[in-house]
Amino acid sequence: MKHLSILRGGVAALAIAAGGMAQAEVTVLGWPGGPEEAALRAVTEVYNAKPDLAEENKVELLFTSRDGFFDKLQVDLAAGSTAFDVNLIATYSIGRYAPFMEPVTLSDQAGAVFGDTVLKTMQFDGQQYGVPTDLSLHFLYFRQDLIDALLADDAAKAKYAAIAQEHLGKPLEPKAPADWTWEDFVANALYFSQSVNPDSPTRYGTVIQAKNLLFNMMVFHSWPRSYGGNWMDDAGNITVDSEAYRTALSQAKLLFDLGATPPDSTSYEYAEANAAYASGQVAAMVQWNAAASELTAAQATTGTTAPPAGPDGKFTHIHGLGLGLNKAAENKEGAIAFLQWLSTEEAALAYAKAGGAPGLAAETAAKLAADRPDLVQVGEYASTYGFVMNGGTSEKALSVYEAQAKEFTGYWAGTQDLDTALKNTTAAMTELLK
Amino acid sequence: MSKKTRRENAILASPMVLFLLAILGFPTVLSIVYGFSETSFETLTRPEFSGLANFADVLSDPTFWQAAWFSLRFGLITALLQCALGLALAVYLAPLVERHGWTVAVLIIPIMVAPAMMGLMYRLVLHEFAGPLPHYLYAWFGTAPSFLGPAHVFKTVVLAETLQWTPFAFVLFLTAYQAIPSELREAAAVDSARPWDVFRHIEWPLMRPTLYVALFVRFIDGFRVFDNIYTLVGAGPGGSTTSMSIYIYESFLRRGEIGKAMAAAILLFLTAFLLLAFGQRLTKGRTE
Repeated sequence: MKHLSILRGGVAALAIAAGGMAQAEVTVLGWPGGPEEAALRAVTEVYNAKPDLAEENKVELLFTSRDGFFDKLQVDLAAGSTAFDVNLIATYSIGRYAPFMEPVTLSDQAGAVFGDTVLKTMQFDGQQYGVPTDLSLHFLYFRQDLIDALLADDAAKAKYAAIAQEHLGKPLEPKAPADWTWEDFVANALYFSQSVNPDSPTRYGTVIQAKNLLFNMMVFHSWPRSYGGNWMDDAGNITVDSEAYRTALSQAKLLFDLGATPPDSTSYEYAEANAAYASGQVAAMVQWNAAASELTAAQATTGTTAPPAGPDGKFTHIHGLGLGLNKAAENKEGAIAFLQWLSTEEAALAYAKAGGAPGLAAETAAKLAADRPDLVQVGEYASTYGFVMNGGTSEKALSVYEAQAKEFTGYWAGTQDLDTALKNTTAAMTELLK
Repeated sequence: MSKKTRRENAILASPMVLFLLAILGFPTVLSIVYGFSETSFETLTRPEFSGLANFADVLSDPTFWQAAWFSLRFGLITALLQCALGLALAVYLAPLVERHGWTVAVLIIPIMVAPAMMGLMYRLVLHEFAGPLPHYLYAWFGTAPSFLGPAHVFKTVVLAETLQWTPFAFVLFLTAYQAIPSELREAAAVDSARPWDVFRHIEWPLMRPTLYVALFVRFIDGFRVFDNIYTLVGAGPGGSTTSMSIYIYESFLRRGEIGKAMAAAILLFLTAFLLLAFGQRLTKGRTE
């Protein structure tokens, strides 16, 4: 009998605890690991320490693993999970998650803090689905020491011009990376590849991460965009089978064929490409801004600038990570209050100081110039060169990237020709974006 | 079999059958429902019956056939390689194992590693700039093959699978080899039979049933390969390393084509089932 009473008491205590937990907090499912987690933890501490914050609206963080994160989130949201009130979203997956989320109204400061370009990375069908917390875009990373040596050596310049003449049909001259077009990028990559120039100090001129993986297409598609490429025209017609895409894909293919990127790079993603550059055997690469500290630490003479230009100018893909409201949230009121606070200047500055990478408008970023000069560059590039393809936030955007990854990597690896790759991509995108 | 025996068998088997129904029944029924329905993540709880549309979609998808061809080639080649190597190792190392039984534990270490971990390990080991193998090849020969490049990736994944699972075939063959009555070998020795003749006329015929079992187990395992290839090279450039399982995974989670993925899974199951049935019949015919 005594045991039974203890058991009953225990069950009751657990029930109270469980019930209390369900209502006593705002649960936030964040992006695990890396600076995003550290920054979210830091701002959560700031928020929870507010004296006027009710106990039941304090924020509790939840982290899982990055592996298959978006797939698991998809299943959780579709199943109406109440395990979290606020969840991570990304620009390219908003359309996929929107049916299971609710739009949010941000604070009055949001426009001034982030700017319209960055806020748009969290919009779908004209509605705001999240607070932008981290912005990703691309830098051109290059070895300044190699460029300086090239620019100071007339014989090297002549060789550079001869290589450009032979492979690109025109005698290009070496330039500072900030002034590069994509043709200069290709010429530079060929010059610094030992397969083309046996005297090159590096084994490869560049590294293109070309694993059949959707994120790699994000890195690539600034290239066709600068030639005027887009996924769709205003009428909704798929436009990837265009001169812009053909030019960009062919130029990249030339680098694969001539050994200017490691032959294994058809299996490379972010980490492998960074390892290649960090080894000192690669002269330049286009990579996510998040790699800046890693690559600079590995190669001290690394310089960064915006990706090369095409006839339409310079462009960089941008996408944001952010936090939005789960439609099945149990504590919506508390969740909305947290999201609104997260879109204030106070929160954005605290998030940035703790290591996050929010895309901030110039005026806000200037307040961090001493602590985070990189955010000034990110903010400037995002507002000047940032773009999202037509259809880039649609429900099937991720699948579009998947289809492109499969077809384009097949072309680069030589398993199919350009016409087939573009025909298959167009067919897949027509089906996905109809 | 008497009526009483049959009843007893049914009673004894029922807990296992009920357990299997509980564990496998629900997902199986759900897979079949989704396989015949138009389903997405938005309509998981209200699938709409679409007849054989998903199956038609799958069968008319070139990527499915590419994946099927990859799985077939991969399954056959790896099964043959593993069985050939496993058999050779078992026969060659049997005397050593007889004296030092612990060597088996060392030899089967690769199968204790999770395939996904094995894929990640090779991803590191074979990386041109971070991996020890290319590093030493460059240091010694000034060059290294691109193990994961388009020209070699199939050979690399076959080799990785073979190195991991040959010990499994080895254990099967070793067990069969050790089960051969020693009197047979002694009688052959009395007749002055050479080792090759002993193997050819005594050991090989007695180990043949094990070979069929090993071939089938390894073929099915290779045919449905997923983890190590996915973690090593993903679906491959142009889908060149997309196995049937990777095709199903990507259709389901990456493209949200749940009905199509389930239809492909049902086809994979039926193929494996038919191959197994055919294999059993073949094995039975050869051993009778």
